[in-house]
Amino acid sequence: MKKLIKMKTQYYLILVLVATLTVSCSFDEELDPNGPSLAGVEAGASVRQLNEIAIGIEATSRDGHGIETTVSGSMARELYLFDADPRNTGNVLGKGGTVLDNNSFYSTTQFAGNYRTIKNANVLLEALDNTKVIEESEKNLYRGYAKTFQAYELIQVLKSYGKARIDVADDENLGPFLEFDAAIAAVRALLDDALNDLNTSESLGQFSFPVSGFGNLIDTSSETPENGRDDDESVIVSEFSLFNRAIAAVAAVYAGDGTGALTALEDSFFNLNGELNIGVKHVFSQGAGDQLNGVFRAPSKSADEPNNGDQIIVHNSWINDAEVNSITGLIDERVTAKTAVRPAPSIQDGLTGSHETRLYSNNVAPIDMIRNEELILIYAEASILANSLTDAQTALDIIRMKAGGLGPKDYGTPSPTAEQLTAEMLFQRRYSLWAENHRLFDTRRYDLTSTLPLDREGDRRFSVLPIPLAENQ
Amino acid sequence: MKQQTHFSRMKILLFLIFTPVILLAQETITGKVVIEGAGSGAPFVNIVENGTDNGTASDIDGNFSITVQALPTRLKVFALGFGTKMVDVATAGEITIQVSESTESLEEVVVTGLGSSVKRANLANAVSTVSAEELVGNTGQTTVDGALYGKVTGVNITSSSGAPGGGFALRLRGISSINGNNQPLFIVDGVYVNNVEIPSGLRFASGANRGNEENSGNRLADLDPNDIENIEILKGASAAAIYGTRANAGVVIITTKRGKGGKTKISFSQDTGVNIIQKKLGLRPWTAESVFNSFFSPNPDDPAAEQESREAAEAEVAAFQNALQNGGLIDYEDEIYGEVGFITETKLNASGGNEKTKFYVGGSYRDEEGIIQNTGFDRFSIRGNIDHKLSDVFDFSLSSNYVRSNSSRSFTGNENEGGLSYGYTLAFTRPWNNLFPDAVGNYPNNPNYPGNPIFVRDNALNEDSNNRFIQGFKLNTKILNKEADKVKLIFNGGVDYLSNETYVYVPEIHQGQVGNQEGFIAEGNNNFTQFNTQLISVWDHTALGGDLGLTTQAGISYLEQQADFVNSRGANLFGGQTSVDQSVNQAVDQIQSTQKDFGYFAQVEGNYKDQFIGTLGYRLDKSTLNGDPNEFFGFPKASLAVNIANLDFWNVEALNQLKLRAAYGETGSSAAFGSVFTSLVPSNVGGNGGLSVNTKGDPDIKPETSAEFEVGLDVGILNSRVSLEASYYNRKVSDLILSRNVPLTTGFTTQTTNLADLVNEGLELAVRADVFESENFRWNTGVQFYLNRSEVTRLEVPAFAQPGAGFGTGLGTFFIEEGQPVTQIVGNIDPDGDGPIPAALQQVGNVEPDFQMAFNNQFTLFKNIDVAFLLQWKQGGENLNLSRFLTDLGQTSDDLETAEGQARLGTAADALRFTEPAGYVRLREASIYYRLPSKTVSGMFGEVVEAIKFGVSARNVFTITDYSSYDPEVSVNGGAGLSSGIEVAPFPSARQFYFHLNVNL
Repeated sequence: MKKLIKMKTQYYLILVLVATLTVSCSFDEELDPNGPSLAGVEAGASVRQLNEIAIGIEATSRDGHGIETTVSGSMARELYLFDADPRNTGNVLGKGGTVLDNNSFYSTTQFAGNYRTIKNANVLLEALDNTKVIEESEKNLYRGYAKTFQAYELIQVLKSYGKARIDVADDENLGPFLEFDAAIAAVRALLDDALNDLNTSESLGQFSFPVSGFGNLIDTSSETPENGRDDDESVIVSEFSLFNRAIAAVAAVYAGDGTGALTALEDSFFNLNGELNIGVKHVFSQGAGDQLNGVFRAPSKSADEPNNGDQIIVHNSWINDAEVNSITGLIDERVTAKTAVRPAPSIQDGLTGSHETRLYSNNVAPIDMIRNEELILIYAEASILANSLTDAQTALDIIRMKAGGLGPKDYGTPSPTAEQLTAEMLFQRRYSLWAENHRLFDTRRYDLTSTLPLDREGDRRFSVLPIPLAENQ
Repeated sequence: MKQQTHFSRMKILLFLIFTPVILLAQETITGKVVIEGAGSGAPFVNIVENGTDNGTASDIDGNFSITVQALPTRLKVFALGFGTKMVDVATAGEITIQVSESTESLEEVVVTGLGSSVKRANLANAVSTVSAEELVGNTGQTTVDGALYGKVTGVNITSSSGAPGGGFALRLRGISSINGNNQPLFIVDGVYVNNVEIPSGLRFASGANRGNEENSGNRLADLDPNDIENIEILKGASAAAIYGTRANAGVVIITTKRGKGGKTKISFSQDTGVNIIQKKLGLRPWTAESVFNSFFSPNPDDPAAEQESREAAEAEVAAFQNALQNGGLIDYEDEIYGEVGFITETKLNASGGNEKTKFYVGGSYRDEEGIIQNTGFDRFSIRGNIDHKLSDVFDFSLSSNYVRSNSSRSFTGNENEGGLSYGYTLAFTRPWNNLFPDAVGNYPNNPNYPGNPIFVRDNALNEDSNNRFIQGFKLNTKILNKEADKVKLIFNGGVDYLSNETYVYVPEIHQGQVGNQEGFIAEGNNNFTQFNTQLISVWDHTALGGDLGLTTQAGISYLEQQADFVNSRGANLFGGQTSVDQSVNQAVDQIQSTQKDFGYFAQVEGNYKDQFIGTLGYRLDKSTLNGDPNEFFGFPKASLAVNIANLDFWNVEALNQLKLRAAYGETGSSAAFGSVFTSLVPSNVGGNGGLSVNTKGDPDIKPETSAEFEVGLDVGILNSRVSLEASYYNRKVSDLILSRNVPLTTGFTTQTTNLADLVNEGLELAVRADVFESENFRWNTGVQFYLNRSEVTRLEVPAFAQPGAGFGTGLGTFFIEEGQPVTQIVGNIDPDGDGPIPAALQQVGNVEPDFQMAFNNQFTLFKNIDVAFLLQWKQGGENLNLSRFLTDLGQTSDDLETAEGQARLGTAADALRFTEPAGYVRLREASIYYRLPSKTVSGMFGEVVEAIKFGVSARNVFTITDYSSYDPEVSVNGGAGLSSGIEVAPFPSARQFYFHLNVNL
C-alpha cells in the first residue's frame, strides 16, 4: 500500500513536470500595427497604394527645405539665422576658423530629404514594375512623374553638395558618387526619360492622383474636368510636362548648354512677357501629417514691441548693394517686398542686421519650386551661353523693370559684353531669387565664392556642403 | 498492530535511557530577547545551546525559556534580520538578551533561481542587497532608483532631470546595450514592472529633436520606496542568466514588506522637508563696459555696420544703466530656480496576522514641490500584501498595489526655438530687461529669445498623471514533503497596468507661439498592460545522509506586454482655451505594440555540507521581438562556490568565512518593438494622404547577448564583524543591436540591426565593519569601491556618431568606434583654428568614471541617538556641458567677467571647449535621529505607543566638484540607450532637508 502511494506520487510528479515542459505556444509572424510594410507595397501595390506613394513623393520633396534655404543663404551671406542653434552663426559661417562638419544638421538635413524623396520615387517605380492592377501606359504616367521629381531632387543635391549619387535604386547596392558634370548629364537624361514616359501616356490626360502646387501653370478654368475633381488638384499630363521641361532648362544651363536650355524652355511654361509668379509650388498646411513653410518667420510687430528673437536677418550687404531707381530714387522693389526694417537692429554672436525677412506672409504660404521669373533669368543665362546677347539683355531689363521697378540697365555701351551681361544676370538673380537657395550655387559656378563678404575676424567662406558622414566618402 | 507494539517498546526504552540524564542536569534559563535600542521584545528569535541541537524560540513578546544540560553554557541567539549573538550564561534564571537588527545577517537568503533561493554565505555571485533600512532609513526618498545612489557596487545612476518624481537611469556594470534596453529588469513581488519613460509631445512646441529630450520621468517613480523590504540586484549575466532574454542589463528584484504574524504592529511616520536648488551658477557681474564690449562687434571694413553695432551696444548699456537706477539687475536664475519647494510625506502601515494568515497594509502620500514654481510631484500609494496557508499542501500570497501619481515638470532640456526651456531662455535673457507682467497682467516679450521665462513658469503646463495597479500572486503546492524529498509546484506572476495621461499646454500668447503655432496643446493617453506568469516545479533532494542537498527546478514562463500610445495635439488655439478640441489644427499619432516572450528553464543546485555549492542552469527563450518569433535562444549558466572556512581542516577561528566563487552565465536582450519592420509612414500634402519610407528594419534581427564570467572572494573576520566582498567580472556583449546611420542616399536614415561586440570588465569591492561596539557608542561602516571599463571589440560598420546621443561631431557626440570605450565623446576639432592642420575627429572625453566609491557610516550614541551619513565619490569621467555653449552665446555665463571666461569665448565652439571633468565628492545622505527611551515612551503613553523616533536628515548636502554647471549627474537624452554626461539646459538638482517623526504602535 505504502509503495503504491509512493509510486503514485512519483507518477504525479513526473506528469506535472512533463506537462510543464511540454506546454508551448507558437507565435504568429508579427505584422506592424503602425504602418503598411514596404515589402508588401513593392510586391503588390493596389491603385490606392500607388497613389499614396505618389503623393508621398511630392510631400517629402519639402523635407529639409527650410534648413536647406537658411544654411545656403547664410553661407552665401544673403542672411543670418538668429535662433537657438548657435551653429547657424558659428560653423556655417566658419566662425573662428571652424570648418563645416559632415555630421551636423546643416549638412545632413537637406541631403536626407532629397534622397528620401528619390527613394520614394524608386519605391513607386519598383511597385509599378510588380503590380498588375494597372496598364503599362498608365504605369508610364506614374513613372514620368516619379523620375521628374527624382531629377529635381538631384539638382538640389548638386547645388549644395557639388556631386551626387545617381544610382540608388537598390539600397543594398548603391552606385558611386558622380562628379558634377557626369551627374548633371545623368539628371538631364533622366528628365528626357521622364518626358518620354509622360508622352507615351499623354492620351490618358491626367494623373489619377492629386498633385498640388500646379494651380496656375495653364489656365484650365474653361475645361470641365472629366472626373469632376477639383481642378487645382487634377494636373493634366501636358501641364506636368511643362514643369519637366522647365527643370530640364535649368539643368541644361547648369551643364553649360545654352542651346539645350533654350530648346527646353520652348516646351516649358516660360513666358518672357508673362506674369513672373506663375510656376510650380511647394504647398503647406497645418493639417495632420503635413508640413509648414520652413522659411517663414513671424514678423516683429512694431517698434513698441521688442524684436522677436528667432529671425532670419537680412545680410546688410544685400540691402546696401541694392540698386536705386535713378529716376524715382526708390530702392529696388524686391528689397522692400521681401524684407522689412527691424524695430531695432539685431546683434547676435557678433553679427548685426537691420532687416528681417518678409518673403512669406505666413507659415502655410507656398514656396516656389520654379517660377517664370527664374525661367526668364535662365533664358537670359542660356542666351549668353548661346551668344544671343541681345536676347539676354532684353530679358534682364524685363526682370529689372517688372521685379525691381528699375529702368533698363546702362552698361555704358549699347551692346554689352557677355561678361557684363553675366555680371548683371547674377546680380538680378541675387535679388530675384534672394533666400531661395540659389546664391551659393551661383557664386560657386561662376567662381565668385571669394567675393562673398566676411563679417567677423576669422570667419570662413564655404562654397559647398560636405557629403554626410554616413555616405562613407 | 505488531508495529505499534514495537514502537511502544522503543518509547519505553528511550524513556529509560534519557530520563536520568534530564533529571540530573536540568538547568532552566528564562528571559527576554529585546531589540537593542528600541527596547521592545524580539519575537521568534532562535535561542540554541551552542554546539548542540537543543534550542527554542522566543514568543511573540520576546520571552523564552530554555533548559540546558549544564551551566555555564553558551547560547547562540539568531534570527533573520538580526545579528547573531553569543551569550555566556553562568547561572540559571532570568536574563535579558539584547539583539541588534542587522542587514548583514549570516542567514540572509538570496534569490538565485526563479523558484529557489540560497543562503548568502553560499552564493557564487556578488548579489547586492539593499535593505529597507539602507534604502529609506536615513532620509526621505522620492523614487526607488534615486534612493540607490551610493548603496550598491557596480551601479551607475544618471539623473536626466532634477524635477521631482523621477528621471533616473540605472546602469549595472557598464553599458550592456547601445541602442536597446540599458535599464535593468525590475521585478516587484514576482511582477515584471514597467519603467517606461513616456514622451508628452511637448517637442512639437519646443522643437526638441526627439521624445527622449522631453525630460519625462521614468515610471519606476510610481513605486513607493517605503513599501520595500529589500532589493536584490543581480548585476550581470552570470547572476541573472535564469531570467534569459529580458535580463541583459541585470535584474532588480524588489520584495515588499509582508506581515510577520503576531501582534498587529502599526507604524506611523510623518516627514516634512524642503527642496532647495543645490547650486546656483550666479549672475554675471556686469559692468557698463562689459555690456558694451559684449554686444559691440567692430567692423573696420564696413563703417556703417560698425556704427549700427555701436548704437545697438549703446542701447544695451543704456538699458543696463537704467536697470541699475531702478532697483538693480534682475537675477532670473534665482527667479526661476530659486523656489523653496515644500515636501510632506505621511505613511501609515499595519502588519500582523496569525499562523494561517499574515497581512501587511500600508498607505502613503507624498507631496513634493520643486525648485521651480508650479512644479511638483505627488503620489498616493496603497498596498495590501496577504499570505495565507490553506493547508500543509497549499499556500498563496497576494501583493496588491494601487498608485496614483501626478507630476508637473515644467519645461527644461533641449529645444529649438520653442522659447520654453528655462536653460535656454535664461542663457539669452539679459538681466536689465524687465520681463515681469505689468499691472494688468501683460508679460513683455523677451527681446533676445522667443520666450519670457516668467510667462512660461506662470502660464505654460507640462503635467502627467498616472493610475497604476500592480497585482502579484503566488500559489505554492507542496506535492511531496518527505525527509529527503520535497517537491513543490509554484505558480506565480502578475499584472502591471498603467494608465498614463500627459498634458502640455502652451498658451497662444506665449512669445514663441505668436505668429507660429498660435498656441499648443498635447494630450497623451497611454496605456500599458503587462502580464507575466511562471509555472515552476522545485524538487529538493537530500542525499549522502544529509550532506548533499540538491535543488532541481524546471519551469516555463510567459510574458506579454501591450502598449498603446495616443497623443492628440492641437495648435492655433481659441483664445484662452485649454482643450485639444478648441484648436484649429489638430493632429493625432498612435503607436501600438504587443510583445510576447515564452521560455523554458531548468536549474540544478547542489550543496555539499555548505562547503561546495554548485549550480547549473539553462534557459530557452523566444520572443516576438526577434526576426523569427519562434526561434529559441539558449542562455546557460554555471557557478561554483567553495566555502574554505567550512572545510573540515579549517581551524582559523578569526576567519569565519573564506569563500572563493566563480560564475558564468549568459543573458539576452531583444530589439525594441518595431525593429523588424520596414514600414511606410504618412506624409501628407495638400490635404491628400501620402506614404513615405522612414526607417529601415531588419527582418533577421536577433537578440544581443551577454556572456559574463565573474570570480570573487568573500571573507568574514571575527564572526563577520569585518567582511570583505571582492569581485572581478568580464562581460562580453555580442551582436549588439545598433541603430546606425545608413547612407542617406538609401533614402533611409537609420537601421537597427546586430552590428557589434562590446566588452565590459570591472572590479567591485565592498568592506563592512562593526568598528566599535560598546554600551554608549557603536559605529559600523561600509566602504564600496568599483570601476568598469568598456571597449567596443567589433564593429561591422565604420565608426559612427550614435544617433540621439549627442549633437553631432561639431558639438560632441557619443561615437561608436572599434577599440574605444563605448562611453567616449568625440568631436571634430581643428587643432590650430584656421591653420594648416585640418580638423579631425578627436576623443574629447569619456563619461565613464575612473572609479566610484561610497562611504557609509552609522553611529549609535548613548543608545538612543543614531547618526548616519553616506559620502559618495566619483572619480574621473567627463561631461559635455552644452549649457555653457548657450550661456556663452548669450554672453550670460557667470565667469565672463574673468580673463579665463573671455579667453574661452575666443576659442572655437567645438566639443573640446565644452568638455569638463565631472568627478565629484558628495555628501549624499546625512541624518540624526533620536529614539525616545522606552521608559519615557511608556511613561507618556502607557502601553499604547511602543516607540517614538524623530530626527532630521538631508540629501545632497554638499558637492565638491570642478564641474561648472548645476550637477555633474546629468543627461539631456533621458534614461534609455547611451545617455549620460551630455548637458543641455537641465532641471537643476535639488538639495533636500527633512524633519522626521516615526511612531510605532
